[in-house]
Amino acid sequence: MGKIIAIHSYKGGTGKTLLSVNLAATFVKAGKKVALIDLDFRAPSLFAILKSEDAQVWFNDYLNNTSEVETILMDLSSKVSGEGKFYAGLANPATEAIRDMSSKDRKWEMRALGRLLALKESLLANQKFDYIIFDTSPGLQYSSINAIVAADFVVVATTGDRSDVDGTKRMLKELYNLFEKKTGLVLNKVLDASASAKKTEIANKIKTAYHVPMLGMVPCFCEVLRAEGNLIFVQDKPDHPFTKILSEMAKKIEDNEVN
Amino acid sequence: MIKDQTLTKRPSLNILEKIEESLERLNDKIEVMIEIQKTGNSNQRSTLALPEASLDVMTLLSMPDHLRKTAMSICRCTRATAEEISQQTSRARAVESAYLNQLVIMGYLKKERRGRKAYFFIDKETQG
Repeated sequence: MGKIIAIHSYKGGTGKTLLSVNLAATFVKAGKKVALIDLDFRAPSLFAILKSEDAQVWFNDYLNNTSEVETILMDLSSKVSGEGKFYAGLANPATEAIRDMSSKDRKWEMRALGRLLALKESLLANQKFDYIIFDTSPGLQYSSINAIVAADFVVVATTGDRSDVDGTKRMLKELYNLFEKKTGLVLNKVLDASASAKKTEIANKIKTAYHVPMLGMVPCFCEVLRAEGNLIFVQDKPDHPFTKILSEMAKKIEDNEVN
Repeated sequence: MIKDQTLTKRPSLNILEKIEESLERLNDKIEVMIEIQKTGNSNQRSTLALPEASLDVMTLLSMPDHLRKTAMSICRCTRATAEEISQQTSRARAVESAYLNQLVIMGYLKKERRGRKAYFFIDKETQG
């Protein structure tokens, strides 16, 4: 059966959405059937990156139990080359919807967790999806913790920023450890990561600081920033080092190398 | 001859099954009594059993480790016996049975008996 992967971070701006979209596209290029789901209901962004502003159904409706997941997922396979299938479940960016999702009570959140867990049966078991990727809100939001609990594997995106390092350490210790989650860390926006000696030094530091395996290290690429979220990078720039790094991460996840 | 042996064994097997069932019911009752004793007198029973308690992620986080493991397993299964939960957690069935009964007393789970088996589940209808 396939896997649910949640992409999470302590702080905002660590590159969760960039990683989610490009990891999903990397799997699709490798022939996998993937559903990318935006669980960042406070600041929805997938609709803009995937240029699906005209969507009529949202993942909010699935969690509200007013629609089934099959009617919500949009087939965006044409946006990525390869044999795989690419579907997306988008968060509703309307202000009213954001306000509505922010005011849910604990019982609703409990049922939402049940709906996320039910995707294992509906999408992974019945519809043979290889991966469901959750793009989450940063920090300890209900929707993010629901996603972490439902996931088989969590990718934590972090940067070298002091406050991010401290917060991520605490989050891994006080949240991830309690839920006994399989986790891989991605260090994003790394400066001076070209020399292999420097890479090894950073990787060792990370392992000592966080006590979780490293999934990958992404240097700060000006080309990625210049794209301004207007393209699926691994699709449009197949020869770029960023694309290579994402392929290595996807392979590690697929081979179950991160434990 | 073989047929005769089966016939003679059947009543004793039935008796054993009945004894096991009775012991399980007694065990459940003892666990409830222990839990009540831990938290005070029997008048507090009503405050213990919270039908409104929801098993959401923040509640899971605030639980002691041993109960969280059981609660997370039941979240994944929706409905399960102590035996099924013990297969997931790799702990003894009797241990899981005790933890599941504690979660029932705390109001997070419901319990239903079907013949010899006791099923534990999250009652989503009453919780919303």
